Order: sequence, then structure tokens, then C-alpha cells
Amino acid sequence: MTALLEVQDLRVTFGGTAAVRGASLAVRKGETHCLVGESGCGKSVTSLAIMGLLARGGQREASALRFAGQEIGGLDERAMSRLRGDRMAMIFQEPMTSLNPAYTVGSQMTEVLRRHRGATRAQAVDRAAELLGRVGITAPGLRLGQFPHQLSGGLRQRVMIAMALMCDPELLIADEPTTALDVTVQAQILRLLAGLQRDLGLGILLITHDLGVVARIADRVSVMYAGEVVESAPTAELFAHPRHPYTRGLLACVPVPGKVKRGDPLGSIPGVVPRIPPGFAGCAFRDRCDYAHAACTGPIPRHQAGPGHEVLCTLDLAA
Amino acid sequence: MTPAIEVRDLRRIFNVRQGLFAPPRQVRAVDGVSFAVPPGSVLGVVGESGCGKSTLARMILGLLPPTSGEVLVDGQRLSAMDRKARARLIQPVFQDPFSSLNPRRRVQDIVAMPLVAQGDIDRATVARRVAEALERAGLSAEQGGRFPSQLSGGQRQRVAIARALVLRPRIVICDEPTSALDVSVQAQILNLLDELRRDLGLTYLFISHNLAVVEHVASEVAVMYLGRIVERQESEALFANPRHPYTQALLASVLTPEPGLGVPDVGLGDIMPDPANVPPGCRFHPRCPKVFAPCATEVPRPTTSAAGLVECHLEG
Repeated sequence: MTALLEVQDLRVTFGGTAAVRGASLAVRKGETHCLVGESGCGKSVTSLAIMGLLARGGQREASALRFAGQEIGGLDERAMSRLRGDRMAMIFQEPMTSLNPAYTVGSQMTEVLRRHRGATRAQAVDRAAELLGRVGITAPGLRLGQFPHQLSGGLRQRVMIAMALMCDPELLIADEPTTALDVTVQAQILRLLAGLQRDLGLGILLITHDLGVVARIADRVSVMYAGEVVESAPTAELFAHPRHPYTRGLLACVPVPGKVKRGDPLGSIPGVVPRIPPGFAGCAFRDRCDYAHAACTGPIPRHQAGPGHEVLCTLDLAA
Repeated sequence: MTPAIEVRDLRRIFNVRQGLFAPPRQVRAVDGVSFAVPPGSVLGVVGESGCGKSTLARMILGLLPPTSGEVLVDGQRLSAMDRKARARLIQPVFQDPFSSLNPRRRVQDIVAMPLVAQGDIDRATVARRVAEALERAGLSAEQGGRFPSQLSGGQRQRVAIARALVLRPRIVICDEPTSALDVSVQAQILNLLDELRRDLGLTYLFISHNLAVVEHVASEVAVMYLGRIVERQESEALFANPRHPYTQALLASVLTPEPGLGVPDVGLGDIMPDPANVPPGCRFHPRCPKVFAPCATEVPRPTTSAAGLVECHLEG
């Protein structure tokens, strides 16, 4: 089956800093692909680069950037803006900053459909009300007339999701959609996303730092470190047999009730994510890695560790 | 043994105006909270945003006067203490090390500030104790000469910890100390806090929205909902056997990294708690999956037993 979104060897630089250094990933229809990593690893830049939304000064290169079989790497801004919000939609972490505080929920939601589909106001309002109901908002008519500041964080994120669905997108890119929310609301929003995906066959690229979210919602996971995808595998496989030392370190850091006894130290990764200068060679994790050896300064092979399981490491650590 | 922190029927009401001519509304941020924390232990406080946990922390730190009730620190009334004495006893570590550190001062000056504010300590002692605090927090002397902007998030939180330790307090109030950090750094900071507690005999009040973190650090856990503690138990007992339906829902919402389990339905519905509009009866009843006849009208009494405290009509 061909992928809905296919990214090959994506590179993004801002001036002298390489933010993404050859990331490849694919999202199939009806699949949730999680891109996981710590702050500064390039996961948000990857999503913005896919959408063509890089900040000024960002340079993007990729050997392939295909959406539904079509190469979108060379599209100009006009053509991209026709795709964005229509066939590919995006939701962000903080719904308060991505909704316009000066317009009502209704006018922001209807704009999407009127602009992309030339719908009439009445049609767009009907569609918006229907979708607000679909994302579990009671009294959609009332909400359409309200301003973003009148809604709670969970409601705002539901509005963002409903807005992203206005034109029946095929791909939804969600950048930390539940990070700013309480755990109880997070569970509701994630259930909502999973339900929508099942019903609408959406492909979802979900960016998160939370391995708990990844484990519960992803079909496939790509772990990013310093601008590279260091490990990629089906979710169950990744959690059962993590191969990359970074993935292993990350998993050991997460406190899990009942796993580490109180008073016993949690696993931790020494040091901090390094800044990568242009022309850097070798493994970016080597300075923090327990297994680092001479070969880590040379070219790093990407090898298969199992079906659909790829690791970027000089070692073949056994499961 | 005198509790390190004791809180007696603490309340804080904010008067909030929503519009120019609208009458002020009362927000009951903390609404009758009592507990005692024995020295050397860690009380974890959990709850959703708006439940009053940060207001509680600010009152215990003496940064916010209570509307009524009392805070006793080390057996002494906080309201009777002067600021310098209070600072020697109790210190904070806040969530965001990006906004809690003065960006225009060097790390060593930030850490020295509580000592300098005491007024009667000579320079050599200040320098020695700053160096000691930096080392305790895992920072080098060289890092002491830097500005906060030159440090990573984890290092900045170490600066905040060094500043909290420099007066050698007995009690540290940690308000979401790792929420702004990455997981690998969070683990470093949690390990550091635990090591410091054991070495220095500190008592922590540890506020967090992350139950897995609280389970890891706290000896006892208090669950707050709309300004009240609805359940308090020893940490192990609470996680093994949560009694209040709200605690049960909170625990069910924790997404542990176990693939295949899916996202649980916590059954709380869509109504959000609003501290300006506390429901009558049990304040949790509009969201409670186990609601029954008395919940909407009668306020549940706290039932206290050896196992802890629960405030629910299903108990007792």
C-alpha cells in the first residue's frame, strides 16, 4: 500500500544550525504515526517543514516529500495554501495561541470551508455545528457564537480539532495536542482522535514527548534525536525491544507506578541535547551514550532490527 | 513529634470582577484544608488545574495571607514569624526555571540572594555557602559565573534548587518542579531532590499534576478537588486502593507506556470544574460516575481512619 505521506531524507537548516538532518518517515491512511523526542530534537520543525510553514530563514531540502502520491516539495506557496486546511490539516499544542481571540469560534470555523470549498455561509455554519457535535461539544449553536477566551482549554482543543476536520482532510498533523491539558482531559481528547481516525480513515502524524501517549495511541513510532530519526518501529515492537541506546534511556526515565520503587533512582540520561554544527559527522548521541566507541564518529549505518524496525546505530544491541 | 508543616482549616477566597459593572464573584480557591506533614517525609498534592494546589503552596510559603485558618511551620505560627525567619525555615522551587530566575544576574548572585537578604552574613561566608549549594545541586563553580540564558532547562532548575538550599531550610515547597522539563532531565531532577531530602533531612510539599511522578517521590498523597482535599492516604495505599471516585478517575487517566492498552474512558463527562461556581452538595457530583441520591444536596463529611481521609458519601 502506498503511503499517504512520505518524507525521505528531510533536511532543515536555520542559518548555521541544522534542525533536521535527514529524517525519513511515512504515514499510511488510517494509521497513527508518532514522532517522539525531547525538546530541540527537531520534531516540530519536521511537521512545520512538511506543511511548508517554516519560519523565515528556514531552508528545506528533501529527496522526496509526497502527499497522496503527489510530490509537494516543489509546490509554491499558493498551491500549498490550497492543500493546507483542506486535504492536510494541523492542530497545535496551545489552542489559545492558534485561535484568533478577536473572532468568534463560528467565524473562524466557517472561514475554512468558505475559502477552500466556496461554501455559502449557511452551509458552512451547518457543517461547523455538525462537527462541534462530532467532537463531543454540547450546545454547538451556543459555542459558535462564543470567543476563544470563553472556552476551557479542553473545549478549545476540541474546537481546533473540529476546525481541522472542516474540509474532510486525509492527513492530520497534531503537534503536542494534549500537552497543555489536564490528564483527565488529555484522555478524552486522545479518545476523540482515535475515534475520529477509525470513523474517517484519517492518517495522523502525532508529535509528542510523552511516551505514555505514544504507547496508547500510535501504530508506529519514530524516535527523533538531534534532527535524526534514530529508531523507527511498530509500537509494540519498539516498547518490547528498544534497540537504540537513546530509546532505551528515554524509556528508563519515565516513572511508571509500581515499576520503580520509591526511593530508588529513576534511570536518567546524563548531559543535554547537543547543538549540531553543520558538517557534523557520526552519531549525535555518542557523548551521552554508555555504549559509545570509536566507530561512532564515522558514518552511522541504518540497519534492520526486525520487520519494519530500523535503527540508526553502529551497534546491533540484542533485544 | 512536631509536624514540619501543619495546616488548620485553611481558606482563601478571591474576589474576582468579571466586568466593569458586574458584581464581584467569590472564587473559593482553597476551601477548608487541614493536614500535617511529619518531618523528613514528602506530601504529594495532586489535582487538575484550578483545584487550588498552587494557592495552597503560596499560603504555606507566606506569599499569600489566608482568608482564615492557620499555617504552622515547625510548630510555630507562620503569621507570627518575620520574613527572614520564615525564609530560613521554608523555601520554594517553582515550575518554570525560565521565569523564576532573574535573567540579568549571574547564577552565583541569584543563589546568594537569600543569604544577602538576611543582612548579617559576611561576604566570605556567603561565597562559601553559595559554592556549597551549587555543588549540592550538581552545578560547577564555572556555571556559577554564567547567566541563566546560558544554561539548559535542567541546569536552571538546579539553580533554583541551589537557591532554595542556600539558607539550609527544613522545608522545601516544590510547585510542579519538573513539569517544564524533558523526561530525561525530569528524572535527573527527581533523583537529585530525593538525594537531597535524604542527605539533609528535608521535608517536601510536592505539587504536581503528574501522578506517576508523585507516586515516585511522595510518602503520602493528598488529592485536591475545587479547593478541598477529597482523599489523603499513604502513597502506596492510595495507588493500590484509591477510594474516592475522583482519585480513581485521575489514576485511570495516567497513560503508562504500555502499548496495547488504548486510552481509557475515565467517565468524567464534559463538565469542567469552576472554582467560581462550586456545585452544592458534593462538589464533585456533576462529574462523578458513581453519583447517587445524597450527592447533589448533602455535603459529604470527611471520614478519617487509619487508612487516611476520604470525603465521599460512598464512605462511612
